Amino acid sequence: MAKELMLSGCAAAAQGAKFAEVEVICSYPIRPYTAIMMELSRMVANGELDAEFVHGEGEHAQVSVVLGASAAGARAYTGSSGVGVTYAFEVYSPAAGGRYPLQMAIADRTLDPPGDFGSEHTDAMSARDQGWLMGWASTPQEVFDNTLINYRVGEDQQVMLPQFVCQDGYFLSHIPDKVVLPDIAQVREFLPPYSAPHPLSTTCPVSHGPQIKPDQGAVMDAQRASTFLIVPEVIEKAVADYNRIFKRNIPPFIEKYKMDDAEVAFFIMGAHANTCKKAIDQMRAQGLKAGMVRPRWVRPWPTKQIAEAFQNVKAIASVETSTSYGGAMRGGNLVHELRATLYDLEKRPLVTSFMAGLGGDVILFEDFHFMAKILNQMVKEKKTSKHVYWIGFEED
Amino acid sequence: MAIKVPKEREVPFGAITPAPVGQQDLFMTSNWRIVRPVIDNEKCTRCFICYASCPDSCWSYNEKEDQMEWNWKFCKGCQICIYECPSDALSAVAELDFEDGVVRLEKPF
Amino acid sequence: MPQAFDYQKQNLPPIKSLRHAPREEMYLPGHRTCAGCGPALNYRLVAKAAGKDTIFIGPTGCMYVANASYLCTPYAVSWIHAQITNGGAVGSGIEAAYKILARKKKYDGPFPNIIVMAGDGGSVDIGLQAMSALMYRGHDVLFICYDNESYANTGIQTSPTTPYGANTTFTPPGKMIPEGKTLFPKDPPQLVIGGHPLVKYVATTCISYPVDLMNKVRKALNYDGPSFLHMLSPCPKGWKFDEKLSLEMGRLAVDTGMWTLYEWENGVYKYSRLPKKYKPVGDYMKFQGRFSHLKAEHIAKMQAFVDEKIQRIKAIAVEAPIPTPKKKAR
Repeated sequence: MAKELMLSGCAAAAQGAKFAEVEVICSYPIRPYTAIMMELSRMVANGELDAEFVHGEGEHAQVSVVLGASAAGARAYTGSSGVGVTYAFEVYSPAAGGRYPLQMAIADRTLDPPGDFGSEHTDAMSARDQGWLMGWASTPQEVFDNTLINYRVGEDQQVMLPQFVCQDGYFLSHIPDKVVLPDIAQVREFLPPYSAPHPLSTTCPVSHGPQIKPDQGAVMDAQRASTFLIVPEVIEKAVADYNRIFKRNIPPFIEKYKMDDAEVAFFIMGAHANTCKKAIDQMRAQGLKAGMVRPRWVRPWPTKQIAEAFQNVKAIASVETSTSYGGAMRGGNLVHELRATLYDLEKRPLVTSFMAGLGGDVILFEDFHFMAKILNQMVKEKKTSKHVYWIGFEED
Repeated sequence: MAIKVPKEREVPFGAITPAPVGQQDLFMTSNWRIVRPVIDNEKCTRCFICYASCPDSCWSYNEKEDQMEWNWKFCKGCQICIYECPSDALSAVAELDFEDGVVRLEKPF
Repeated sequence: MPQAFDYQKQNLPPIKSLRHAPREEMYLPGHRTCAGCGPALNYRLVAKAAGKDTIFIGPTGCMYVANASYLCTPYAVSWIHAQITNGGAVGSGIEAAYKILARKKKYDGPFPNIIVMAGDGGSVDIGLQAMSALMYRGHDVLFICYDNESYANTGIQTSPTTPYGANTTFTPPGKMIPEGKTLFPKDPPQLVIGGHPLVKYVATTCISYPVDLMNKVRKALNYDGPSFLHMLSPCPKGWKFDEKLSLEMGRLAVDTGMWTLYEWENGVYKYSRLPKKYKPVGDYMKFQGRFSHLKAEHIAKMQAFVDEKIQRIKAIAVEAPIPTPKKKAR
């Protein structure tokens, strides 16, 4: 019987892990994701979830513990935020290259220095080249959905990759919204048990990770890159099954909002997209044909779908909720991937970017209206006069 | 769009290889040695010390023949067994004295 | 963690002599370790004692790079590479996985011996945090520190177990620092014994006493929970001695007091081989090029350090030797 609850993003993640019947969990406290682990530890203690709950000694250990568990054939789960995410960095490539489909929930948080609890996407974004699946949710329901979908995609025999399931710290992790929880039977139909192809076994002994030959480094990289070429079709099938079994209508790669006739558009990830959509309604009421594209995945980047969605748009505002100091546009990193995506279009839209939602800042309606004003100016002048705007620092 | 990888350079899935059985023939080390241990079966007391002293497991006991057997494929000529033998049954002989000495490997390493 | 349950833990019987040791090799010939490598012999004896229902975790080090190159390993049992930083953590994860798989009846074989084979760096330097956490959390894992007293694989650099006065490529002797290494080493077993409530068995071993070594491995594995073994592994390349003397170095280490063979079991110390009369440390150091630059005053400092250790041992020693084969006097 489907149950409807008001859950924060953290609580929704914990429910996702519970329904996924994770077997080994490794905890370590850091704001704001800690609530996920507190919730899971309660479930284990009262028998709601049968799992080994390991108290890791740090985030680096967390990913190491679940790597070992995954190698031994157990479905493993962990998570972190901020500097915890960067502390574990050493283990990310070994997890992906070793093809261990563990899952790491990230409730993002601004990186030190100094301690700053506010949401920012930089922590997880800085790991996007390590070979994991990665994407941001925008509602607690999506956090729950993504938890299950990522296990399904990650554990696919052709994929076998670990996954970062990301959500905005505080805005998503700590603010409750409606989540519909399914039946466990439905989940079991969607998500088969984890079957490691060559687990660490006593009956069929294997060696995980001997040194490769000197001429195989590039080969290993190419093989890892090849896997990502297959992932999109696995995602498509998985989401189609999810929609069928749970009677939903989730778009597999991107969320499009009022894009059919949009002349200007926003490109934005995560929870701030909810504000963006409301702002777009206000703009539409004032006669501006605005729309939004929200990527549900950072890796694999939905190149085709984003390019298609934007092909008739005149100007795009890339809303940067993460930093890339000294990067090509001297702003964030979303705009780099966006510009690469649009480069081959016959009619290239104008693109600018807005540094917003950094350090835990809320992005206000008026900020989106400011962005729309700039976009309109760009369309009128038929050029991008500035590539990076810092919301809150610009003169109106 | 798929990336073509030459078959001989392919890395197994996740860099996971099967465990070897008996010995690891992909890493023969016989061409490391310049001397080899030669056993005098009369002096040998079957104490098993050579067997227990070899980092490369090159001494084993043949139950049927009741004698210690030497693995020519992997012996690196470290001479620990010769030094440890309590009954002087082992001596170091130059590898070049043997017809099959200084073994050439089919593949490097 | 959830309540204890019968997860079919193995019980390995003691080994009476070399002849009685299992003949099957679990660490096979065919690896790129140096001729006369102490850690390799160590690995072989550990693997032999542990048997086929075993999973090894190999943090980066000599026993990774030299064993597992290229695209092949000498392990007849399952083995996984770990980072030098996280041997204890990866071992914990494997143990947790097997516990849940056993509880859910997805695995019904004997619980595997889960053994972390970490070097001195991977045990008490960069790997200390993960090792300690494993001991604290009480996982049923054997953590082995194979001690060749340096970061050998990267070309012999100093580690926290490198002896005072050793010449390494990070502690070269020179006009300003005549002894080379000025620091005295950490004591790994004492680190473990000192503050981990769930640890019941800690022991030291030496490759020169193989039956003692293998029995300590089995004893450690038979304990339900974490155990720690500190295993002296003479390194011909790092210590700069003739490779045929690897086992001789082990014996001299014990005879001079540079290494003490003991067990700590549920709070009680038992010494495995106490010399009636200790040889001077010079008898051990004179064979090793890493000490050849030392002057009498430095050797005296080393002797004083060892003498103090001996006094402490004599105060509490209970000798309980595990049988080793009789060897003709040389």
